[in-house]
Amino acid sequence: MRSILIFLTSAVLSAGVIANAVIQKKQFYPSVVYISKSNPSMAVIYFQSLILVLMLGKLMRKIFLGTLRAAEFEHLMERFWYALTETCLAFTVFRDDFNPKFIALFTVLLFLKSFHWLAEDRVDYMERSPVIGWVFHIRVAGLLSVLGFLDYLLIMYAYQSTIAKGPTVQLVFGFEYAILITMVANTTIKYVLHASELRSDTPWENKAVFLLYTELVIGLIRVILYIVFVFLMVKIYTLPLFAFRPMYYTIRNFKKALNDVILSRRAIHNMNTLYPDATAEELALSDNICIICREDMVSSSKKLPCGHIFHTLCLRSWFQRQQTCPTCRLNILRTPITATQPQAQPAANNNANQNVRPNEAPPVPQQNPFLNLLNDNRLGNQVPNPSSSSSVSSATTTTTSTHPGAPFGAPIPPPPFFFPSMPFMAPYTIPPPPMPQNLEQLTEEELRAIEGNERRHVEERIKLLRNVQTMLNASAALMNQYQMVVANLPPPPISLPLQQQQPQQSSSSSSVAAETAEQQSTKVENVSLTKENDNKNEVKLEDVGSEDETINKPSTSRSSEPTSSKTATTLDSPSTTSTFIANESSTINGETNEANEIRKRRLQKFLQSD
Amino acid sequence: MAGQALRRLMAEYKQLSINPPEGILAGPVSEENFFEWEALISGPADTVFEGGLFPAKLVFPSDYPLNPPKMSFLCEMFHPNIFPDGRVCISILHSPGDDPLGYESSSERWSPVQSVEKILLSVVSMLAEPNDESPANVDASKMWRENREEFNKTAQRIVRKTLGL
Repeated sequence: MRSILIFLTSAVLSAGVIANAVIQKKQFYPSVVYISKSNPSMAVIYFQSLILVLMLGKLMRKIFLGTLRAAEFEHLMERFWYALTETCLAFTVFRDDFNPKFIALFTVLLFLKSFHWLAEDRVDYMERSPVIGWVFHIRVAGLLSVLGFLDYLLIMYAYQSTIAKGPTVQLVFGFEYAILITMVANTTIKYVLHASELRSDTPWENKAVFLLYTELVIGLIRVILYIVFVFLMVKIYTLPLFAFRPMYYTIRNFKKALNDVILSRRAIHNMNTLYPDATAEELALSDNICIICREDMVSSSKKLPCGHIFHTLCLRSWFQRQQTCPTCRLNILRTPITATQPQAQPAANNNANQNVRPNEAPPVPQQNPFLNLLNDNRLGNQVPNPSSSSSVSSATTTTTSTHPGAPFGAPIPPPPFFFPSMPFMAPYTIPPPPMPQNLEQLTEEELRAIEGNERRHVEERIKLLRNVQTMLNASAALMNQYQMVVANLPPPPISLPLQQQQPQQSSSSSSVAAETAEQQSTKVENVSLTKENDNKNEVKLEDVGSEDETINKPSTSRSSEPTSSKTATTLDSPSTTSTFIANESSTINGETNEANEIRKRRLQKFLQSD
Repeated sequence: MAGQALRRLMAEYKQLSINPPEGILAGPVSEENFFEWEALISGPADTVFEGGLFPAKLVFPSDYPLNPPKMSFLCEMFHPNIFPDGRVCISILHSPGDDPLGYESSSERWSPVQSVEKILLSVVSMLAEPNDESPANVDASKMWRENREEFNKTAQRIVRKTLGL
């Protein structure tokens, strides 16, 4: 409505001006001379031409773009005002050339620039829109070719004019259109990539890589253009202030593109070399949905050292941003990936065993029940309780990421009881629970770092404790295995030493429990998340407690007692352990309460007697 | 094949409409733009916000789920973790790389594993239990700590307001 009014006003005004001139001068040329000599008339004429340009813009928009989305319009306005300010700055450099033609040229430039931005936005929108019709394709293709053609013409014009007349303001235009034509090229490539992805039914694997490299090459060209331009301007005129803001952004974008490419290359390299492809069995064991894109994993998925499986592509785009496992946040770059599975495991288990029975059998290298178990599982044995494995693995990963490269306890000690091979039992796939390092081996500083009051330290401590918890559960599972073996042997050759059970007060732990509970309640969102967390792949740090349930269910409390209390000796700070207990008690629930209660008492008792 | 972000948003929308969590309603503003959602959150029971019905807006980045959406309430809110202009400040909405306030561990921040549903559930639990460690609204945080009665009154007023009473 308002635009119609403005249009009508300007039309009436210019008609009035022209009529007035014609009436006064009667003939064509005198009228034209009259109008161009009279400032008010010229003002009206300029206004009219501005209105005409805007109308042309609207027409082009209607043809090529249709209705603008709100976001597109906002974006356009924002960029437009910046460009306008820069144009005004440019006027100061070329104030000698200042004339109507000059203004007209700048108007055309701004006009074309606006359409370049709109085209860019439109093509970016392609990826986000659920419905892309053929009208869209025709419009975008038409717009891009028209813009490209116009840019080319104007560059040629600027070039010839500069050759013929020497450097004038045309230098600026030529340069601006050169930048615009890189934009057209960029948009076109993006459009082609998006369009070809739209045509296929499966996600196109390498599109992201192509886009990255396009971004990089175009960025490089732009940076070179800007540098050449600034250099020329400084030589011929003066410092081109108006080019600095876009130049800064271009350089920043180029840096980002370069960074992206480097990170992407590293991610691809890591994924190709370090992580194995998930096998069909592993996929069958998980729920077969990539948690990043929430789609089925049929092919090309990768397994991280922490045991989580994702689409190769999803993982790659995530690794460009963060080098952590999306589920458990294990820092994949800091984990010795290839070594984790086969080697960390024996070390951890042997340490656990050492804690159980320090001086018994002679060392037997490479005989580890857990290793056997794992190998058996790889051979395709069914696992009854996959959720336990996933939760244990999440706990495991916390450990590894907190203490990268921490020394694994002592030299490999004798495994206490040793069964040459146990092919018949493989109830658990327990990923290697890395050992919490021996505190004696830590330096003063490290100990102090663990033993602070700040939140960071407390977190660190909790992580260590979770570690212990993982070990406990692992040992419980191990004991369970042993028991099964014992049950299967006709005469009972091995009897497990049972410790006396003693009721124990829990006053010391209750205060810490309150503390920990408070601390946990501050993490409002995380706690809530775990509450509602029903997807076993999404087990987060706080979920570690829930593994008690899954692991302890089959095991009797009797079997877990001796191991758990002994394993806890790796920590020799009583306060730490009681925090652990509190932490544990705050997370257990339901039927495991009793077993944990007993275990808790045993731990305390052991600490006191120590 | 549409873009990854779009497909994931569609999947989440489908999941939310098949299996909606209690007290939460969410979906795209229009079928043509899946990157802007509206949500209705009912105040959690047994809290001062009980009975309220709070409209909120979620805006997703084009590289979702690699980056978190932005969420803001469309109604007046008075809560320690909601900015006076309605923006929600909870740690899972902070992108994984940067740590604007310098105290969150990365485990509390965004990861592609999170989803709209989890965000909304987190917001519900945030309504139930404000976290005054990192107040977004300092006044609300102060009142919540020092003058709980006044805070409850203000919350009740807001609840009534959202219901149009």
